[in-house]
Amino acid sequence: MARARSPSWRGIAGDPALLGAVAAIWCLLLLLVLFPLAHLLERAFVDEGRPTLAPLLDSLADPGHRAAFVNSLILAASVGVLGTAVGFLFALAAVRAGLGRRWLTVLDAAVLLPLVSPPFTTSISIIFSFGPRGLISHHLLGLTGVSAYGFWSTAIAETLTYFPIAYLTLRPILAAIDPNLEEMAFSLGGSRWRTFRTVTLPLCVPGFANAFLLLFAASLADFATPLILAGNAFPVLPTQAYLQITGLFDFKGGAVLSLLLLVPAVMVFLLQRHWVGRRTYVTVTGKVGQRSRSQAIAPWMQVVLVAACVAVATIIVYFYALLLVASLVAAFGADYSFTWRHYAVIFTEGLPAIRDTLIIAALGMPLGGLYGVLVGYLIARRDFPGRRAMELVAMINYALPGTIVGIAYLIAFNDPPIALTGGALLIVACYVFRYSPTGIRATVALLQQIDRSIEEASASLGAASGETFRRVTLPLIAPAFFAGLGVVFIRSMTAISATIFLVSISWTLITVRILENMTEMALGPAAAFSVFVIVVVFVVVAGLSAVLARLRTPTAGAAARSFLGG
Amino acid sequence: MRSLRCAVLVMIAWLGGFAAARAADLNVYTIWPENYARPMFQEFEKQTGIKVNFLRFSSGEALARVIAEKNNPRIDVLFGGPVETFAAGIKEGIFEPYKSPSFAKLAARFKQADGQWMAIADDPLVFMTNGAFLKANNLKPPASWDDLLDPAYKNGLQMADARTSGTAVTRIFSVLEVFGRDEDKAFAYLKRLRQNVQVYTKSGGGGTLPTGLGQAAGGIFFIVDALETKAKGYDVVVSFPKEGIGTSAEAIALIKGAKNREAGKKLIDFATSPAMQAKFAEYKVNFVPAHPDVKTDPALAEVLKGARIFPIDDEYAGANRRRIVDRWVKEVLPAQ
Repeated sequence: MARARSPSWRGIAGDPALLGAVAAIWCLLLLLVLFPLAHLLERAFVDEGRPTLAPLLDSLADPGHRAAFVNSLILAASVGVLGTAVGFLFALAAVRAGLGRRWLTVLDAAVLLPLVSPPFTTSISIIFSFGPRGLISHHLLGLTGVSAYGFWSTAIAETLTYFPIAYLTLRPILAAIDPNLEEMAFSLGGSRWRTFRTVTLPLCVPGFANAFLLLFAASLADFATPLILAGNAFPVLPTQAYLQITGLFDFKGGAVLSLLLLVPAVMVFLLQRHWVGRRTYVTVTGKVGQRSRSQAIAPWMQVVLVAACVAVATIIVYFYALLLVASLVAAFGADYSFTWRHYAVIFTEGLPAIRDTLIIAALGMPLGGLYGVLVGYLIARRDFPGRRAMELVAMINYALPGTIVGIAYLIAFNDPPIALTGGALLIVACYVFRYSPTGIRATVALLQQIDRSIEEASASLGAASGETFRRVTLPLIAPAFFAGLGVVFIRSMTAISATIFLVSISWTLITVRILENMTEMALGPAAAFSVFVIVVVFVVVAGLSAVLARLRTPTAGAAARSFLGG
Repeated sequence: MRSLRCAVLVMIAWLGGFAAARAADLNVYTIWPENYARPMFQEFEKQTGIKVNFLRFSSGEALARVIAEKNNPRIDVLFGGPVETFAAGIKEGIFEPYKSPSFAKLAARFKQADGQWMAIADDPLVFMTNGAFLKANNLKPPASWDDLLDPAYKNGLQMADARTSGTAVTRIFSVLEVFGRDEDKAFAYLKRLRQNVQVYTKSGGGGTLPTGLGQAAGGIFFIVDALETKAKGYDVVVSFPKEGIGTSAEAIALIKGAKNREAGKKLIDFATSPAMQAKFAEYKVNFVPAHPDVKTDPALAEVLKGARIFPIDDEYAGANRRRIVDRWVKEVLPAQ
């Protein structure tokens, strides 16, 4: 990005709107990102005023914790590889298998489901499908002695939950590879396999790296799936940290455990920036000339591809059908008589959770959208001292696993001077600062594609920077605003890892109720809550997509993708 | 921009107000699962007009929260949950002693001498096994702690995790009593039992549904959860070990610094009296009443007939809870 001026204090001092915005953002970042993190580090590394590594060494000396650390990495790497593979399969089928529109819509819908669901849905279904008397393992396949707990079920559940991220990352990259390129290799005498290996795959490598890292980070941070499925033979860090704090009231131990997560999380984040920084947005130029039908994949191979995708999609649809059934029968597994009772329960007894969640999501949505656009704009378009630092700090809560953020908030805001726990504000802040970075990135990406001269024209006609932003830039980056909005809403409805530490008697969340119902084995209400969340999120996502489609900005499509990928 | 900032400020003020408005009712953490606690709170509201806001946690979590909020209590009453949790709470100084009118009538094991907590029910542990599993393996319902070590149960039992669940802690103290409080012997047994455990669940009742479905062969649960599973129609068998098994008083306590103290006392009056405990049978909540004037539901009494049940010594449990749980986490959990 070419920059006309170097950062200067004078520039910012002469522009009150810019100064105000920068100061406000820094205040928020200090209070809600750096302050909690500092508290967490202090809790872990300071004992009675003196710095110490003892808790960390104790934690590392505990074989259980070491195992949890190693397990977390193994799980994250496995989910990264498996999810990228499945995502690539779907992307290949979508782009190269010559599917009709209707088929694509069906595939997309199946892929969308895990993205907009609360975190336990796959876990619930896996528990009931596998295991000694599982619907699939026993009743269908006649197996006995199968365990539904452990590494494999956790890895498969997380793969099915997160592979859509890989799909959304890889699909535009594949689509951007001109089929003519493959055609050329093909006509020069390369076999289909050789063409695929030497042309298509290498072009996807940055995409693979990006998808793998996204999945690795998602799995590393995932707390809900292992809590239900990992069992005791395969402990992982986020769940251990949670049990340490909520069960044993050991804040120090929990803080140290969550910090063990920090190292791989930061490494992944830096790697991802390095790999993707230069490449991501190149693919959304829409420059694939004529849509010549690809010959790169043999017809029989296309059939295999589509069959594999349909198989995965069937599993997903089956899992959700199971959930729907569980929400509509009296007692799953014992009494299959139809009932609306569980829905009656969630709309009477569960109503506070629904109301709180919707209020929090509704508040977080506009705030998150605005924050994302504002920070994105400042980072991409304005010069002021500390611009890079702001970019990095704004990304911190996004890069950290939710468990760390939740624990840090709990420790920092539990006691005066800033006692915020128990209120909605902290939950909203948690969502905004954790999930708006998607909006920030979308804004930056959009602005990189919009010529600066438009804004400069406004400025040279005498508009102040605030007015230029409001009347020129804002309309142009509206798609990013809605994308940021969408991410914050989806996550407000479905996330749990951070906010489980922040719910209170006055403010509770649907996802936390689902977990509570799950662990009490009140399956009916848990399933009904999940179905409700999926329906609400689907409706809102459809609404936002319609808005994005109406904006008709050339970049709206990319923004729409980004709000699901985030 | 300015109007936006104003809007944000208004929203913050409104949110603060929202939280304050809701704080006017009685705030309670319940350790009883919602489906047991809710009807009791509704009866209470019917009788007093006081609305109860509540949130359900496993006992370890509830205790941890109350301790964390000690300087700024967010609730007024801690409701339900095994007595060892309350005994541990006394050590943290989180309760305010209060003796309800029922205090004098309660047996000694159903109250703390200073009124730090009082019992609202009694809840024995039981073995619960899947009927089809027993038949398929030609087993009788387990009638001894040793029966659970049978290799047929290998990787088949589900029970609660001592880090979060009071059911689990009561279970461990039961085993300690069975072994005459010889900790090494008790832990040797627990480690052998570990070999047959499929998973330790976050909540005490977490394993009931898997057992009902046959996904787990069985486990050790509070009778209230076991009979609830049976009542839902699942094929499960309840049995008791001949060596005896623990029962835990389910308690209630007023939180020190409670913002709605008087309303909280009213809830304790209600919960420790026949007014609430006579409703157990009506709502099919299978707790044994703690108040001597309330008769145990005949169906429940039938289940309990002939069972050898001993109370968990709350002082011993409270004094040793943390240490025992730590030892369980260190020694039993990783033992494969």
